[in-house]
Amino acid sequence: MTEEPGHGTAPAAEDPSYLQGRIERRIAEDPETAELGVRVSVRGGAVYLSGDVASEERRMHVVEAATAEAGGLDVHDDLAATPADAPTTAEDLR
Amino acid sequence: MIRVAAVGDVHLGGDARGHLRPALTELPSIADVLLLAGDLTRHGTVEEAGCVAAEFRDLGVPVVAVLGNHDYHSDQQDEITEVLTGAGLTVLEGDSTVVRVGAERLGVAGVKGFGLGFAGRSCSDFGEPESKAFAGHGKQVAARLAEALDGLDGAAERTVALTHYSPVADTLAGEPPEIFPFLGNYLLAEVIDAHDVHLAVHGHAHAGTEKGLTAGGTRVRNVAQPVLRRAYAVYDL
Repeated sequence: MTEEPGHGTAPAAEDPSYLQGRIERRIAEDPETAELGVRVSVRGGAVYLSGDVASEERRMHVVEAATAEAGGLDVHDDLAATPADAPTTAEDLR
Repeated sequence: MIRVAAVGDVHLGGDARGHLRPALTELPSIADVLLLAGDLTRHGTVEEAGCVAAEFRDLGVPVVAVLGNHDYHSDQQDEITEVLTGAGLTVLEGDSTVVRVGAERLGVAGVKGFGLGFAGRSCSDFGEPESKAFAGHGKQVAARLAEALDGLDGAAERTVALTHYSPVADTLAGEPPEIFPFLGNYLLAEVIDAHDVHLAVHGHAHAGTEKGLTAGGTRVRNVAQPVLRRAYAVYDL
């Protein structure tokens, strides 16, 4: 007899989506980060962060918050600090 | 021609103070007015508003702003408005202003806006108090935008609708569709299309897309700084 996943006698391993949700919630709700625009993915046993934040210091805080929630998984930082150069062209909407 | 610079979601605070200032010093040579599309702060505190005021004061062009959801987070939106107004910015919430540029006039109608979603997949003002509060606020902000635009009737040659939340789904492309009801509100677009609006400017959707249109063909631009990936955009109207 084969056991159905999630119905064995031992608790099933947690689905990665719950970890993703916890990290997203921490990054949004922790006053140290307060970032609602960071994408969190949990793939292949590691955490990936992407999106833009306003400064390198905030980027560091987001990685720290994610690492604190990640339960020992590697956290990959694909974030960027948003560039703030003046535009070189205007769009003509006349 | 009126040259309109715009940016939103700058999320300033002590650690990002002065971040935009180098690019802003060039503003008077390339634009006639700067519009700020909300989320000027990160936690919505008066202290952060001081950073915003320092960043955008004395730029040599008029600055017209709406607040965003982050600017409401600490329930200090009224104090934030006072700080920004004290620095010479015009902060709109359900009202309008007219900026003179030479012989021309630019009318700006502004409201923070709110979520609700888009036709066929939006929330209704029905059910639990929490649901009615959400959808009711979505309806209320559209009514405020209508009042602001009504107030501009005939007062300017060019009109811009300035919001934080998006009036259309076009400029949310890149965001998960499941969260669109928290990012935009089609009632804002319905109001825009019922008035003589030349451009709608919004922020809020960091992973969205710059360019879109209302159903009636009005240009919409998402100027969230992470979308622009520069200090601001400039639109010639």
